[in-house]
Amino acid sequence: MPPRLPCSSPQPQLLLNSLEQASASAVAPSVALTPLRRRPSASSSPSASPSPASASWTTPRCFSTTPARPETKLRREFKEWLKKNEPVIRRPAGEVGSQAKPGGTYVTKFHYGSDGKSNPFPNNPYFVSQPVLSERARNWIWYQVMVRGQPLKAVSAQHGVDVRRVAAVVRMMEIEKRWEKENKPMATPYARALKQMLPMADLAPNEGPFEPINDIHVHSYTMQQLFVPTSESRQFTRADAAKAFGEHILPPDERMRIPELVDYERDIAKGVDPDAARDKFVKATAESEKALAAKLRAAEQKAEERRIRVQTDRFEFRIEKINSEEVGPKGRARNAVGWRYGVPHMDRRRGEHKIPTSVGM
Amino acid sequence: MRQRRLLRFHGLKRPRIRQTWNKYNLYNLYRMKTPHIYSKTFFQQKWIAKGLARGYHGEHIKEYQWERMFSRRLLSAVNMDPAYMARYDGSEQAAGRGSGLQVAPGTKESDVPRNKGNLNARTPYMQMVFAPMERRLDVAIFRAMFASSARQARQFVLHGAVTVNGKRMRHPSYLLNPGDLFQVDVERVLTATGQPKRPNQGGNKSSSSTPLEDVAEEESEPSEDAAAAESTSESQPTDAAKEAHRKALLDLKERAKRFMWAKNDALRAKQKKAIRKILRDIKVALSRNTGKQEEYDAAEAELTSLVDNLTLSPAELRAKRDDEQRKKSELDEARLEKHKADPALLTPAQHKLLAHLAASEAENPYDPSKPYATPWRPRDWMAPFAFIPRYLEVNHRICAAVYLRHPVARPGLAEVPTPFSPILSQLAFNWYLKRR
Repeated sequence: MPPRLPCSSPQPQLLLNSLEQASASAVAPSVALTPLRRRPSASSSPSASPSPASASWTTPRCFSTTPARPETKLRREFKEWLKKNEPVIRRPAGEVGSQAKPGGTYVTKFHYGSDGKSNPFPNNPYFVSQPVLSERARNWIWYQVMVRGQPLKAVSAQHGVDVRRVAAVVRMMEIEKRWEKENKPMATPYARALKQMLPMADLAPNEGPFEPINDIHVHSYTMQQLFVPTSESRQFTRADAAKAFGEHILPPDERMRIPELVDYERDIAKGVDPDAARDKFVKATAESEKALAAKLRAAEQKAEERRIRVQTDRFEFRIEKINSEEVGPKGRARNAVGWRYGVPHMDRRRGEHKIPTSVGM
Repeated sequence: MRQRRLLRFHGLKRPRIRQTWNKYNLYNLYRMKTPHIYSKTFFQQKWIAKGLARGYHGEHIKEYQWERMFSRRLLSAVNMDPAYMARYDGSEQAAGRGSGLQVAPGTKESDVPRNKGNLNARTPYMQMVFAPMERRLDVAIFRAMFASSARQARQFVLHGAVTVNGKRMRHPSYLLNPGDLFQVDVERVLTATGQPKRPNQGGNKSSSSTPLEDVAEEESEPSEDAAAAESTSESQPTDAAKEAHRKALLDLKERAKRFMWAKNDALRAKQKKAIRKILRDIKVALSRNTGKQEEYDAAEAELTSLVDNLTLSPAELRAKRDDEQRKKSELDEARLEKHKADPALLTPAQHKLLAHLAASEAENPYDPSKPYATPWRPRDWMAPFAFIPRYLEVNHRICAAVYLRHPVARPGLAEVPTPFSPILSQLAFNWYLKRR
C-alpha cells in the first residue's frame, strides 16, 4: 500500500503529486488510463494542495493523498464488452432501445457455434433453458380442468404436460383468480417483462409435447450391470429383468405415472377405433382419479377417528393414541414418540436444527 | 463487520461465478474457462474444482452444512414410451445371445422396436452434484426469479416475506418437498427485479414532474382576477387568461392528487383509475396550454362525481352507471361536433387512446412511495440470467411457484442449473465422496 501522507504538510505531498503525474503520463498516455475523476490528483497545479479555498477540489476535503489507480486492462475490457453488447442483453425485447428478440437471450450468443437462445451457461451444454407455459397455455389448462371437468391425466396426455405440473398450474390459477376477485395487487408488469425474456410454449398442436410425461426414476439397484444366465428360448421380459435386479424392484409397467396410456396404445395396436379408445382412456383416467380421491378421503377419515379434538379458547388440542412400543430396533424410529432410557437425543448434536421438514397444506 | 468472503464478490481478476444477476457476473460467465488443471495433482484438481463450484452453489451456506446435505445418489429419469410398452414386453432386447437380434438391413425405422422420447445421449450424472442445494427454499426462490440473488432470497425468507403452502416460513434452509407451493410478497419481488430508484427519481415532486409543470409550479404570482380573464379567453386567450387557466388546472390536479393520497385505502381500483385518467387529461391540457374553460369544467365535474360515488350505495351506483352509459354516447357525438368546430380539442378516438393510456398507467403507475423506480421496469442485465428450470412451475403474476419434483438427469440433459463443465463438476463430486 502506498504511504498515506498527513494533509497538514503540503510539501511532500506536492512532490508526490508531481512524481505521480510524471510517471502516469510517461507510462500510459491513453485516455482510459488516466486517473479517476473523483480523485483530485488529476490536476497537478500547485493549487492541488488541500487548502479549502482551492477551486480544483470538488469534495470539501480529501484525506487520502494516494493517487487513483489507473483503470486496469481487465476493467477496460469489461466496460468495452458491456458497451458493445449492451443493445442485445441489457434490456429485454420490447423495452426502449433494446435490440433483443423475445425468448431467451443468453451469453452463449457471443460464443462460436451457439445461437444463445437455449443455453444460459457457455460451459455446460447439458443445461438447457426450456420453454415455460405461456399465460394462454395456463389459462387453457385451467379451463380444461376446472370448467370442462377433464381428468388431470387426460389433460396431461393431451398436451404432453406432466400431471404434477397440470395440478400446480390449476392450483396457482385458482389463487390468481381469487386475487383478481379480491382486487389484490399483482405483479403484472413483472410477468409481462418475463414473457419477453423466457422461451414460451403455447401448447399449440404444431409445437409437439411440452415435456416427457412418462418418466420413471432410475432405481439405483438397476444401475449395475448384471449377468443372468437363462435359456435362449426363454421370453425374458421387463418383469423378469426387474426381478433379477431385486425382489422388490417393480417393472416399468407398474411404475408408469399414467398406466392408462399404455392400455390406450394397446387398444390402438389392436385396431380399435381411435375415438373409442380415447373415450375409454378418458373414462379410465377419471375413474382412477376418483378412486385415488376416495382412498385419500378414507385415510383422512380413519386418521380423524383416531384423533380427539379438544377446542379451547386459544388452542385446539389434538390427542392421538400411540403405541409406545413402536420405536424400531434402535429406539429411534421416525414416528417414535417421547424420550427413552439410554437413547440420547440427536437434537443436541452440532448443526442439528429443528426446522420443519414439511408444511401441511 | 463485512465477511471476508464478501470482499471482491464479483471480481474481475479472480473471477467466481455467483448466483446473482450482476453485470460483472455476466461478464465473468461469458469469459469463463475451465482452469488448467492437468498439470496439477488429483487432490489439487479436486480442490480447485470444489472451490469454484461452491463459489456458485450456495456460497452463503457453510461447508459443513453442505457436506451434510450432499448425497452421492444422483437422481435420473428415463421416459418410457407407452406405444413401445404396449407393443413389446422387452423380451426382444434379450433375444438371441442376450442383447437383442441384429436389425436386418433394409428394415424400416418404424418397424424397429424402440423406446422413444429420450435424447440419444449419455445421462450427465455429474452435473447433478448440487441437486440437494436446489431443494433449499432460498435457492428455489432465486431459481423462480423472485430475487436477484440467492442471498437476497435468503433475506426475503428471514424477513418473513415468504410463505410455504400458505404458512409463513422463516427458515431459508427449509428443504422443499415435491408439491410445496411457495409465495413471495409481490412488493418484494418487484423491488428485487425492478430498476432501482435513482436519487433524482425519489419522492421529490418537482424532480419527477415534466419540465413544463416545473415552470408552472415555480411561478408564484397568484392571479386574482381569474374570472375576469376567463370572460375574455373565449374570444382571444390572452397571456394572463392562459396563466390563470393553467393555475386553475394545476390547482385541480393538486386536489385530485391529494384526494387520492388521502383516500388511498378506501378507493377501489376503478376509482383510482378514473382519478389517474383525470390527472392525465389535465396534463395533456397543460401541455397544450389553451385557455379553454370547458376542459377545466369537465375534469372538475368528473372529480366531483367520483367523490360522490364514494358515498353511493351499490343500487344507486348501478343506476348512475346506466345513466352515464346513455350520456356517454351523446357525449361522444358532442365531442365530435366540438372537434369539428375547434380542431384543438380531442376527437373521440384520441379520448379512447387517452383512456387506454390511463388504463396501462393504472396497471403500472407512477408512484413515488414505492421503493423501486416507477413505472416498474425490469432491472438491467437481467434477461441473460432468465430461465426457469423444469422442476419448478412458476406463476409470475402472483409471485408463486410450486416445487414439482426433485431435479433429475435425463439422457442428454441435467436439470440442475450449474455453469460448470462436466469435468469440473465431476472433480467436485469426487471431493465430496468421503474417501478422497
